[in-house]
Amino acid sequence: MRAVSRRQLCLMLAFVVVLSLGVLPVSAQEPIVIDFYYPTAVGGPITEILEGYAAQFEEANPGIDINPVYQGDYTQLRTTVQTEMRGGGTGPDVAVMLATDLFSFVEEGYIIPAQDFIDQMEDGEAYVNDFFPALLLNSYDEDGVIWSIPFQRSTPILFYNKDQFAEVGLDPEDPPQNRDELVEYAQQLALPDGERWGLMLPVAGGFPIWLFQSFAIANGQNIVSDDPAVVTFNDPQVTEALEFMVMLGDEGVSPAGGSAWGDTPTAFTSGQASMIYHTTGSLTNILNNADFEVGVAYLPSGPANDEGLGYGTPTGGGNMYIFDDGSKTPEELDAIWRWIEFLSSPEIQADWTVQTGYIAARQSAWETDTLVNLLAEHPQYGVARDQLEYADREFSSYRAIDVQGIINTTLSSVLSGSETDAQAALDSAQAQIDSLLEEYR
Amino acid sequence: MPLQHTILDASTRPRRKPLKTLLFPYVLIAPTLILVFLFTLWPAAQSIVASLYNSPRNVRDEPQFVGLENYADLFDPDHFLGARFTRVLGNTILFTVATVAVSMPLALTFALLLNRRIRGLSLWRFSLFYPSLLPLIGAANIFAFIYSDSVGLANTVLRSLGLQGQNWVGNPDLVLWSVVVLNIWKQAGYFMIFYLAGLQGIAKELYEAADIEGASGWQKLTYLTLPLLRRTTLFLLVIAFTFGFQTVEQLQVMGEGGPGDRSNLLLYFIMQIIPERRNWGYVNATTVLLVAILLIFTVSNFILFERGGKEDD
Repeated sequence: MRAVSRRQLCLMLAFVVVLSLGVLPVSAQEPIVIDFYYPTAVGGPITEILEGYAAQFEEANPGIDINPVYQGDYTQLRTTVQTEMRGGGTGPDVAVMLATDLFSFVEEGYIIPAQDFIDQMEDGEAYVNDFFPALLLNSYDEDGVIWSIPFQRSTPILFYNKDQFAEVGLDPEDPPQNRDELVEYAQQLALPDGERWGLMLPVAGGFPIWLFQSFAIANGQNIVSDDPAVVTFNDPQVTEALEFMVMLGDEGVSPAGGSAWGDTPTAFTSGQASMIYHTTGSLTNILNNADFEVGVAYLPSGPANDEGLGYGTPTGGGNMYIFDDGSKTPEELDAIWRWIEFLSSPEIQADWTVQTGYIAARQSAWETDTLVNLLAEHPQYGVARDQLEYADREFSSYRAIDVQGIINTTLSSVLSGSETDAQAALDSAQAQIDSLLEEYR
Repeated sequence: MPLQHTILDASTRPRRKPLKTLLFPYVLIAPTLILVFLFTLWPAAQSIVASLYNSPRNVRDEPQFVGLENYADLFDPDHFLGARFTRVLGNTILFTVATVAVSMPLALTFALLLNRRIRGLSLWRFSLFYPSLLPLIGAANIFAFIYSDSVGLANTVLRSLGLQGQNWVGNPDLVLWSVVVLNIWKQAGYFMIFYLAGLQGIAKELYEAADIEGASGWQKLTYLTLPLLRRTTLFLLVIAFTFGFQTVEQLQVMGEGGPGDRSNLLLYFIMQIIPERRNWGYVNATTVLLVAILLIFTVSNFILFERGGKEDD
């Protein structure tokens, strides 16, 4: 073999270097990856739908990768986020969480307000005004700053079996409008020996607070206001609302102690319950499984007013929260806001409603063809949205987990009959809540 | 002469063993010791220390030392956690005692019945053992389904007999016992295996001797079998008690602590209060109490049983 001359060696080396430079990936622009944590609180192929949205967004926004991560239910998601953040990890970039968690996460400094991004928008005011006001109530802190953006919002609604209504001589187009009618109709619809319940209230288990709020709001006093350091629990109107719920069980109008959340839609679609309270997020599922005509109405939880109406409801569901410990670059923050704008856009909100039954949070979403057609075919999807007129904020406060724990424990004690003196239970709960919230006032 | 030489050597041998020989066993167990220290002892010490502090409102402030105040709060019925803690602790002890008191005699009975040649012995043993093979969350879901009011087996059977269905998970007086039944069903077979092994370690001659003496079945049981199974019983007692205190999955599926904490158990209660950052002191205090209870139980069991054992010997 001929010896290689020095000149040839240099040439070969240069050749190799140039070649490898050309082969090296262009590392100047790596895609920005957004970690998007989401829960599942209703039935349906949520993962597929969200991954579809992610693909759609990535196509329109090259250079941004969305990483949707399923995290179980709201509680598991919150636990995961807190564990990661407390352990020094980075956590998600965007997460869908309950309104209840707002103040805890603000306090711990994990999230940044959406207000910062809204202020930089071309027409931030129009954007904000396009949301249903009732759905934004839980996004504000006590200074009026918006922290989170609605994504999958709901209210509980009354589902009723129109066929069974007709069967017992009730007008299927005339659901109960106040709590007296609710009791009256339920008693008419019931069959003896538990073969059919006139009404099922899924307040058994650990979280009766949501449906309880409906009765409190409809009776004139919500347990929370815009001051997160004040929770009103042993107010006479609140006590009365709770006593009404207890009466429903005692008089056999609905199962004593309430029914289980997961069981109730099945009991309804199988004909064992004529009327149920449940989230509008279950609407698609119920329509798919019922072999009768499904009626949907506002919650008739309160006493009749001058017009005979007794409506009231909390909102519910998840908002999008933005996580930043101060280390994110402007490009990353921009990408995050684009993803949030996309998910809160009228088109995506409309599609999300069709696929789940959640309320599209943008008013303009309801003017898209998608939802106009949906309502024409299934007017039930518009009921929760219309009920927003009677909606008030969902529970949220400082020390939310502990306060909610006190409230839920008290409610379930009283509703299950474990605790017979509702007033005493509420009083002692209020004392505990006040001692917790004292330092925040 | 060689023998004398050896004896002389032995008697002049109290020289120290080389250091290497002394250290060698410790070197061998060092990896395990390190792991135990890192993952058990050190966190336990941190937990004890953390239980003496409170988390301030501002995230960036240092935790404040409060001494035993967290423990006092846990037993104060006006405190938002204290009001629940006593009930939860009571539930846990009741639950554990009930589960152990039923599943262990049941396990022994099964073992005695299946410690002989009968037809289909393997099938019998397997069918009693298989519940313990199920993942706990699976077994809990099965029972949640059985207890379901509308479609569950329990109420269907009751109603077919003309009796009323019960609200197994929603009735505050029943819910804890519903979980007890699940635990017994799941554990009895597991304990049975240990008892079977213990029984098979007892020499048959002892029973033959007892028969010759004219001992009745009951006498054989109480004077021979039970005392000779003492070690197994001790072991199972400790395990069963610990299982009882570790109950979590069952509650997640069956009522989440039940109406008003009626079925809430200690470990689940701790899980419920963890998410609130300000509760960190209480979380550690309850954990320390939980571990202390288990430790006291285990140690006192060992003392009692060992002492009894020595008397027998």
